[in-house]
Amino acid sequence: MIRYALTRGALLVLGLFVASALIFLTLRVLPGDVAQLIAGVNATPDQLAAIRERLGLDQPLLAQYLSWLGGIVTGDLGVSQLTGTPVIDELVEKAEVTIPLGLMAMAVAMVIALPLGVLSAMRRGRPDGTALSVGAQALAAVPVVWAGMMLVIVFAVWLGWLPAQGFPRGGWDQPGLALRSLLLPAITIGVIEGAMLLRFVRSATLQAVGQDYVRTAAAKGLTRNQALVRHGLPNMGLSIITVLGLQVAGIIVGAVVIEQLFGLPGIGRMLVADVGNRDLPKVQGELLVLTGFVLVVGFVVDLVHRVLDPRQREAG
Amino acid sequence: MLRRTTLAAAALLAAGALLLSACTGETSPTPTATDITPDPDASVAIRLVLEPGNLDIRETAGAALDQILIDNVYQGLVSRTPEQDIVPALASEYTVSPDGLTYTFTLREGVTFQDGQELTPEDVVWSLTQVKENAAYRDSARLAGVDTITADGQVITLTLAAPDSTLLWNLTGRAGLILKKDDKTDRKTAANGTGPYALTSWKQGDSITLTRNEDYWGDKAQVAEVVFDYIPDNQAALNAALAGEVDVLTGFDANLKEQVEANGDFSLVVGASTDKGTLAMNASSGPLADKRVRQAIRQAIDKDAIVAALGAGQTQYGPIPELDPGYEDLSEVAPFDPDAARSLLAEAGAEDIDLTLTLYSGYGTTVSQILVSNLRDVGITLTVNPVEFSTWLNDVYINHDYELSFVLHTEARDFENWANPDYYFGYDNPEVQRLYAESVAATDADAAADLLAQAARIVSEDMAADWLYNGASVLAVGTNIAGVPSINVNERLNLAELAKSTE
Repeated sequence: MIRYALTRGALLVLGLFVASALIFLTLRVLPGDVAQLIAGVNATPDQLAAIRERLGLDQPLLAQYLSWLGGIVTGDLGVSQLTGTPVIDELVEKAEVTIPLGLMAMAVAMVIALPLGVLSAMRRGRPDGTALSVGAQALAAVPVVWAGMMLVIVFAVWLGWLPAQGFPRGGWDQPGLALRSLLLPAITIGVIEGAMLLRFVRSATLQAVGQDYVRTAAAKGLTRNQALVRHGLPNMGLSIITVLGLQVAGIIVGAVVIEQLFGLPGIGRMLVADVGNRDLPKVQGELLVLTGFVLVVGFVVDLVHRVLDPRQREAG
Repeated sequence: MLRRTTLAAAALLAAGALLLSACTGETSPTPTATDITPDPDASVAIRLVLEPGNLDIRETAGAALDQILIDNVYQGLVSRTPEQDIVPALASEYTVSPDGLTYTFTLREGVTFQDGQELTPEDVVWSLTQVKENAAYRDSARLAGVDTITADGQVITLTLAAPDSTLLWNLTGRAGLILKKDDKTDRKTAANGTGPYALTSWKQGDSITLTRNEDYWGDKAQVAEVVFDYIPDNQAALNAALAGEVDVLTGFDANLKEQVEANGDFSLVVGASTDKGTLAMNASSGPLADKRVRQAIRQAIDKDAIVAALGAGQTQYGPIPELDPGYEDLSEVAPFDPDAARSLLAEAGAEDIDLTLTLYSGYGTTVSQILVSNLRDVGITLTVNPVEFSTWLNDVYINHDYELSFVLHTEARDFENWANPDYYFGYDNPEVQRLYAESVAATDADAAADLLAQAARIVSEDMAADWLYNGASVLAVGTNIAGVPSINVNERLNLAELAKSTE
């Protein structure tokens, strides 16, 4: 088990290293730089050169990369080229919005997907089961932006129950307001991610129903539902955890879109603005942290699998 | 000398802004503070479109900073009114010698900065000298003609080697802002000025908050706080307004008039502006090097249709908009006439040509769709290439790598770009450069304007570019709000008169 964790951990570090190189290089392909943006539509070549020098943009790419990498190893993600603020400070501030948003979206997705997914599998072939399955299929195909707009129009503009956009300036000092302003965005992401998860839960349930151990349990005198809950769920649980892990990436992408739409000052909106401003040290730091987060989630999911699944434990 | 031209601010205007009557720069005034009972504890939320990358008024380009910081937080010796007149600000009065070589300003006494430090004549001399001597500062070149900057008691004197009819105007902008000498404030994330509001917080990606300066030297602000909410999307801004989350929308879309006025809490306000929807044509090579092709493009485009689609604004047929000195109606130079366009193209042997239009994606598609269809009518295939603003800066502005480019140039009095062959327009006409230099050197305002008008006519007759429309400032203002300026708000949003009703 420990050997497994160590190997898996080494892979994680390697993955992060490769990601850092990819992030650094792909960002350099973007036309334009932050110096041009600071100088604007009035800059002389001399002014531009002076700003580039001040920001270290005149250094060779390899030197820039190594200096960034050196910083990361010592826990320093660098500073914004526009404001001079440490990237880590900005990330921590914006995470106050994005992490609760992601957790709430995940909760919404699970609340929708788990019961309805099992239900739609159990009712397969009947009208309600088919309706659920088709509905989920349709919902999963809805663009996040459109879904968000509709929710805003109904719950914020017509009913006036929830804010249309923004986050309280006091942040979590006003927990009620903060929660309310995250509710619509979380539902928007959660419903769509939930629809995808629902389809997965449904097929996992169907698979479980057909398994020998469920049949055997039923033969021992359990009802089909009891057999499913007792023996099917633990087996399904493992694969659902895997899918949830994968959905973390989906929720992050959803947050980028939804934070724009709802004017939420989170990591997603910051990322889009920073790419537009070509504040590359900041974008690098943000992307690396997000990538790292997704990789760590994958790592944890693998370990959890290992712990929960006796078959894998023995094989290892 | 280069001039800051601010493109970005009104990005969403082009997505469909501007007004009902397409006739002139008519203004529907907002209520004044005397119409309501102001609530001194009020907080007013104002929607803006583009958030600045940082707050450095000295080094960072962009109208997003001028719009909120100049007049409200930072001030100069002189200021400009919405009607574009020059008025005293930190100077109680000023005089210009008849030969145009000596400017004398009397500095107000008892002025303090927002951090409590006193404004001294030394601060004025230091601020102006810094701008003049530090080439990296914005608009440094605008003080290049100033010889000496001195103080004697409260009297500040600027002397010039040659007259400069643009100097006072330039002093109302960034070049003239007065900061505290050797101030330790981090200009990138904070501000310390003498204006009626202090910048108290910037929540990046969200909002900027101004708070009333209780020690302000003039009439104090009538609201306790102004919050600028950055909401790029017009539909999201409309929703926020209808849900009662913002009090004023700027950079709004005149086509959404009915929706925003539906519940009676808002009214659409339209003011004139110096926003110039400019279609730059790169004449350095290809079919556009032929003046007949450029004229054909101008005559193929239906400007009235563009103004109608935007819902506000007016037509403009030369480089100078109606609000600026030197304006003249040049509609006869290249009127809408597709038949004439087709014959010109035939004459130039340029039938069935392909051109690419590069523009900032934030401008939306209203204008480019009309261009594609108008040009198709005369046999030109137009490919639209929407890009990020940074990409536009790199490809079009810096590298001049484009055929056609659309930009909403917002800055007032920016004719000098036509007298600068290095600008991305690439327009090089010695006669225009001479007329512009003479206009700058003129000591009489009317004479200066007349010279500008002559130069502008030549630029239009040379078919140096096309002007698709003169935009309007479109706002939606809460019915309980007074004192919101309506003219050229992309450039300046002076909130000295802002008030919110107690009801």
